[in-house]
Amino acid sequence: MKTVMLVCSAGMSTSLLVNMIRSIVEQRELGLKIIAASEAEAKSYPGQIDVLLLGPQVKYLFQKMEMLMAAAGTKVGVIDSISYGTLNGEAVLSQILELLQRG
Amino acid sequence: MSVIKKSEEVYQALLTIEQQNRGGVSAKEISAVLSTDRANISRYLNQLYREKRLRKIKGRPVLYRSLKKGKEGAFKAGRTIDQIVGANFSLKKPIQQAKAAILYPPRGLHTLLLGATGVGKSMFAELMHGYAIEAKMIEEQAPFVQFNCADYGDNPQLLLAQLFGVTKGAYTGASKERAGLLKQADGGIIFLDEVHRLPAQGQEMLFTYIDKGYFRPLGETERKITAAVQIIAATTEAPQSYLLNAFIRRIPMTIKLPSLSERGLAERYYLIAAFFKEEAKRVGKRIYINRNSLISLLLYNCPHNIGQLNSDIQLACAKAFLTYKTEDKQYLLVAQSDLPPHVKEGLLKLPEKREQVKLLLQDQGEILHFSDREEQDYARKITPEQTRFFYDFIEEKLNSLRENDLAEDQINQILNIDIESYFQKHLENLSTFNKQEEIRKIVEVEVADTVEQILKLATRKLKRSYDQKIYFGLALHLQKSISRIKNGDKIYHPELNQIRVNYPDEFIAAMEAAKIIDHNFQIETPLDEIGYLSMFLVNNPYQAKDKKRTRVAVLVIMHGSSTASSMVEVANRLVGVNHAIALDMPLNMEPETIFAAAMAQVATLKQDSELLLLVDMGSLTNFGEMIAEKTGRKVKTIDMVSTAVVIDVCRKAVLGQEIDQIYQSCREGRFPRKRLVSNKNKENAIMTLCFTGEGAAEKMKELIERELSLPNSFKVISLDILNREHLITTLNQYQEYYHILALVGSVDMIPGDIPFIAAVDLFAGVGLQRLKEIINENNLYSRVKLSLQEHLKHLNSARLVDSVRRALVRIEGALQLAVPFEVKVGIVLHICFLIEKLKKGAEESVFPGLKGFKAKYFREMELVKTALNELEDFYAIKVGPNELAYICKMFLQNETGKL
Repeated sequence: MKTVMLVCSAGMSTSLLVNMIRSIVEQRELGLKIIAASEAEAKSYPGQIDVLLLGPQVKYLFQKMEMLMAAAGTKVGVIDSISYGTLNGEAVLSQILELLQRG
Repeated sequence: MSVIKKSEEVYQALLTIEQQNRGGVSAKEISAVLSTDRANISRYLNQLYREKRLRKIKGRPVLYRSLKKGKEGAFKAGRTIDQIVGANFSLKKPIQQAKAAILYPPRGLHTLLLGATGVGKSMFAELMHGYAIEAKMIEEQAPFVQFNCADYGDNPQLLLAQLFGVTKGAYTGASKERAGLLKQADGGIIFLDEVHRLPAQGQEMLFTYIDKGYFRPLGETERKITAAVQIIAATTEAPQSYLLNAFIRRIPMTIKLPSLSERGLAERYYLIAAFFKEEAKRVGKRIYINRNSLISLLLYNCPHNIGQLNSDIQLACAKAFLTYKTEDKQYLLVAQSDLPPHVKEGLLKLPEKREQVKLLLQDQGEILHFSDREEQDYARKITPEQTRFFYDFIEEKLNSLRENDLAEDQINQILNIDIESYFQKHLENLSTFNKQEEIRKIVEVEVADTVEQILKLATRKLKRSYDQKIYFGLALHLQKSISRIKNGDKIYHPELNQIRVNYPDEFIAAMEAAKIIDHNFQIETPLDEIGYLSMFLVNNPYQAKDKKRTRVAVLVIMHGSSTASSMVEVANRLVGVNHAIALDMPLNMEPETIFAAAMAQVATLKQDSELLLLVDMGSLTNFGEMIAEKTGRKVKTIDMVSTAVVIDVCRKAVLGQEIDQIYQSCREGRFPRKRLVSNKNKENAIMTLCFTGEGAAEKMKELIERELSLPNSFKVISLDILNREHLITTLNQYQEYYHILALVGSVDMIPGDIPFIAAVDLFAGVGLQRLKEIINENNLYSRVKLSLQEHLKHLNSARLVDSVRRALVRIEGALQLAVPFEVKVGIVLHICFLIEKLKKGAEESVFPGLKGFKAKYFREMELVKTALNELEDFYAIKVGPNELAYICKMFLQNETGKL
């Protein structure tokens, strides 16, 4: 099962989004594990992360995370601000899938 | 013997404690160290104080500090008499007198210093001593002896013995011969403080010395002692008092030192700054102070002058230092709570002094800091930026506007606003403290001389005086324009004709001024330049506006014991003229009584003036007709009046609008009154601004409407404004009905939470682009509001998002940085969820490494906190340090540019 992590500064605003995405994932039986985390938690996560998406407010983490995660093959992206702002789980999920497909 | 030892022991103990606790030491602390009774310690401390080895910090308990460095003190440390605060202003004359007293041959003049407690008499005397050495009037090692005549007030014998010396056995207890302070001061200066406390016998002895140059020690009949001493005496007594008369006759020089209140706010500010720097040096840390505390210090009633100001500041710093230590704060911040109660009250005086304070603190933020490291020049430095003048500015604009294919008259319109605001800003920015020498550092001597000639001429011709600001402004202006004329660059003044018509006298004076310039510099001053010169000579050039004819009188009558008067107070203050008159009608007052009062008011008006009657309801609505019948004046009545209407009417009346015009505009009603507009239904609007009468706002409005195809529901509102206050009130009114997305105008007068676009940018195109972005962003936020509403059960998402967005604009402004739009969306969402979480009473999230972050960014965190106040208040929540750090970090790390 692939693991997707959504990161925002205190792990607060992404948790809602995570719940929304989870229900879609379940419905469609996509077999993805979606978790919400804060910056600190993301860095110390013990397992493999396949996609790491950053909330737009922590965009500044992008380069750092990409460097940190490159070795493990993690794809890092920033959630589109419109999808994020409108809490559009559907749109964020397609962003995730797109990143996963990039291989 | 043991007595001496004990006092030395106390002194040493104090020094030791002082090294740990720099705020001052109390008797209790020393008594703990020496395990001696506190009362005894106090006695030794007082003795040491009298010996001038200690300094007291007033308060409870009294704190003591060592004076071991001798010439310590905020405004004298290492400074000469010319460097003290106020040397070129309130102390200019006293310093001139002091120098004269020192330099007078052969050995200087005896001097009497007059001034209230705490004005700095003893410091001044010390500085005179320093000057005497500097001027080589006395030797480098020449003594400076201080003596306070009040110290031995109850023992005149001892006092005289101290001062004039004593022979053995002169009185009981005079066990050995002693030379006396006057002899000790031989070759130098003696400072006799509180000289009015000198007993009669002492006065006689002193007079003998003054008249003949010798004196006799106590108990001596034969031997004369001579000494070459210059006396500086000081007293708080009024110079007319009987005792002092004899003195003044013998003392040729009397110097009056001004009280703190006489010295003005600006000097007080520099004194405060100096004292804080002194404290900062003492604690070895930067001291921060918030704006309100500084304002309190500037304005509180301080009857004991500089001395009190200093000790109050020391007390505040000591308290702040305590908080800093005990609560393990990262920085030393003096807040309101650290000020003594009587100092806090200073803030209450802000309304009276608002303008002055604003001017003084205009370059300062919410939190100011003082440290001893940066050696600032007290008189503000003039940056090269400021010397860059209109011409470059106008020429640049002219070119860019022409490139945009605007019609010539349109260009002139736009330039008019800019020139006026630029001119205004330029002059306002010049501090009044720039003295002539400083001007000469920047401009050439010939230019400075020419300015003096011109202003002298204008003073004569126009019968008005010009202050330093004008002097300085004109000097800078001329420096620049003369070099332009010499280079053959063109000078352009778009308002030339208007100036000629509106200010004929000034224009003529300017023509004569031009002749002076032509003569002094061998050039030919063009007509456009004369236009500028005229602007400098106008009475109040900061607001060069024409006077209007007779005004419509405004009388406000309302039910209630103070309704009318408070409305009028607000209106008059905002309009800046006491124009409206109020009549209160308490509920138990008969209509006849109030009518008689109204008639009496009307009778005081000018014969031909017309009257606008503003009332609330009932019988008052009929008064207008009755007054018109009885007096034959033209009277119009407006009922159901609100404060906003009073302000609007007053403003128009002051501007000289006709009565019918004002009446009509009120009838039409600028604001739909009946409809209460809920937040959701507010229409979006962009507002264009210009100063009254310029018409540029209308032009900008047209341009925006033409260029951006806006939906019908989207309004562009053009607004003519009087001044900043007026803009704020009007804006508040509009905000009740509109959601204002952006302000477009010539001057950014509201450092607030609405994005501002400069008129220049608008015409240059970038502004339009920015407006488009703002509109798009706003559309996105509407969608954010909709989707948030589904998830936030108990909060109105529209209001929440709007207030969070405003907070974001404030934060960007406060931190002087910009973050990209997409990041902002994230932050908005973050804060919205944070507020929801806090409302539910949930715990703060933990910010890893909070302590280190705080240490590094405490200033930023304070600023963000202030920017969030409105949210905290409105939602009754408290944003804790962890959450603050998160928000702060999002801004700091995502920064893309400086604002």
